[in-house]
Amino acid sequence: MKLNKQTTVLDDLTAFSKHKNEPDWMLQLRMQALSKIEALPLPNIERVQFDRWPLLEAEQAFQAMSADDLEGVSFQIDEKSEQAAVIQFGQHTVIEKLPESYRQQGVIFTDIFTALKDYPDLVKEAYMQLAVQPDEDCLTAFHAAFMNSGVFLYVPKDVHLTEPLEAHFFQNSRIKEPFVKHVLIYADTNSSFSYVEKFETLFHEPNTANCIIEVVAKPGAEVKFSAVDQLGENTTAYFNRRGHLMHHAHVDWALGVMNNGNVIADFDADLVEEGAHSEIKAIAISMGRQIQAIDTRVTNIGRHSIGHILQHGVVREQATLTFNGIGHILKGASGADAQQESRVLMLSDKARGDVNPILLIDEHDVTAGHAASAGRVDPEEMYYLMSRGISKEEAERLVIRGFLGSVIKAVPLKGVREELIETIERKLIE
Amino acid sequence: MSVLEIKGLHVSVEGKEILKGVDLVLKTGEVHAVMGPNGTGKSTLSAAVMGHPSYTVTQGEILLDGENVLEMEVDERARAGLFLAVQYPSEIAGITNAEFMRAAINARRDDEDKMPVMQFIRKLDEKLALLDMPEEMAERYLNEGFSGGEKKRNEILQLMMIEPTFAILDEIDSGLDIDALQVVAKGVNAMRGEGFGAMIITHYQRLLNYIVPDVVHIMMGGKIALTGGPELAQRLEKEGYKGISEELGLQIEAAEG
Repeated sequence: MKLNKQTTVLDDLTAFSKHKNEPDWMLQLRMQALSKIEALPLPNIERVQFDRWPLLEAEQAFQAMSADDLEGVSFQIDEKSEQAAVIQFGQHTVIEKLPESYRQQGVIFTDIFTALKDYPDLVKEAYMQLAVQPDEDCLTAFHAAFMNSGVFLYVPKDVHLTEPLEAHFFQNSRIKEPFVKHVLIYADTNSSFSYVEKFETLFHEPNTANCIIEVVAKPGAEVKFSAVDQLGENTTAYFNRRGHLMHHAHVDWALGVMNNGNVIADFDADLVEEGAHSEIKAIAISMGRQIQAIDTRVTNIGRHSIGHILQHGVVREQATLTFNGIGHILKGASGADAQQESRVLMLSDKARGDVNPILLIDEHDVTAGHAASAGRVDPEEMYYLMSRGISKEEAERLVIRGFLGSVIKAVPLKGVREELIETIERKLIE
Repeated sequence: MSVLEIKGLHVSVEGKEILKGVDLVLKTGEVHAVMGPNGTGKSTLSAAVMGHPSYTVTQGEILLDGENVLEMEVDERARAGLFLAVQYPSEIAGITNAEFMRAAINARRDDEDKMPVMQFIRKLDEKLALLDMPEEMAERYLNEGFSGGEKKRNEILQLMMIEPTFAILDEIDSGLDIDALQVVAKGVNAMRGEGFGAMIITHYQRLLNYIVPDVVHIMMGGKIALTGGPELAQRLEKEGYKGISEELGLQIEAAEG
């Protein structure tokens, strides 16, 4: 794929890396990735055409941060709350808060560049090494080369955190600037915690977003991961969230795909060792003319590993929503279990919903299954609700909420359930 | 006093005429029973009044206090005061019974005048108790996994929560055992009064032992064939539809619907 770039991109990249005091290996990783972008293909997402989307816009990736960026925007957190939080706006880290008790236990929750400076070895162990590789396709290579903001979260061995850690990422679309965000979560052996992230866009400049979120779960680690994605309508986005799960690690994902622009998303769990277990729950709403395509994959490599996918989505107006569910059981993964349920509800004649369950099984002695449906709202249901005096719009909202609610009720964190419900309500009133 | 007038109503389903000129006047304070053999158009009448999209009114009028009901959307009819308890209510996952009823009640009220949660809960608890329904029914998803009897009770619960001006109960007694039948009747009887009128559609006389109607209509061949007092239902129980139709010189048509 052709990279849209300035001629000085290599110089800019080097200058940026030096300016951030990045370790040499990071600069090498960036440069190698840069050299490969144009030779690599786009990722393969079944039944979705996105080769003309502006996903490789390198222009201005490394422009100097300016204090002007922050003019007219303000971010607040509850000072009294004991919650760990990071808030970033564009490339700026605006707020970082980590309770002292967490710090004492060795928890790291900070800006990715600070982490590269202060904990280079820890970052190096996991950054695009285990979960996502820089040379998988042109979008991962683009990301590796142009990553310009992010967060590192490390929870040490045997540390158990009760309150969720929260990251709030605001894309700065007042200016032309690709939003290349990296979240690296490193859950050390037998640690357990919850993490919540939110993506939003401020202002309206058309921009590219390329967000890679890696979760490396060491043996016995338990991570509850939640996300609410609400990037703006002028943002063309690529999301890649991937877990790398070792012995008996357990990662639960609750993902709300509520963006307003065109999005391709890859949500994957690699169950690399015995007993690894991942539950991926996703809800999505596509509206207007937007296209959102979501590839959700679990790959069972370890014996007795478990990967479950549950995703429900709603499509309104002339929008498109595609769910590809992929369960892949590799040879040697005996006793593995891969299950998936994907459903799309279409609310208008012009709405397009597509559901593709894919099971690839290379081992005997495993269990796998899928349920999939793409359909329109049952007119009998609408009639029944309206016959009680509820308006058509309200009845539709109830049906949508109900349809997505069956996934939401399976989300473990109460706060996240409420956040998802609120987001749906807001979006449906728009 | 409110009046629901049905005048010369002709209704077709998929091009087939089912109702062939129904005339009926229901006033608040009255309970009417509409009886008749299978396939004679009783359910069609109720669906046409409520505005089910599969039923086409080809002739005639339905007026609620002089207002043309046929020009109203389904939800407008409901807000104007009509209620239909159906035989086979939809099951809708993800929406709780309580949430649904609250939405229905508040749909009738202005934004500034929504029913307070506590008041809603008190009313709900009271009606649940009257209908001998466990409280957890309110938190279950709308009709999902409900037994036939539970669905019928739930229709009556909605009736009591919403308090419409006119209710049509379409074969609310079908498939109910005697205990459930008594509970349903208790609910309907509790609604009876100056400001409420009901049309009870039933196949059997049994329900009318518990809800004694003021007027009984017998429908045959898509029309009201005979109208009388409660004694008409008794007579029907003895003679059957066949006896009455012979007396009236009518053929019972074996139609569906």
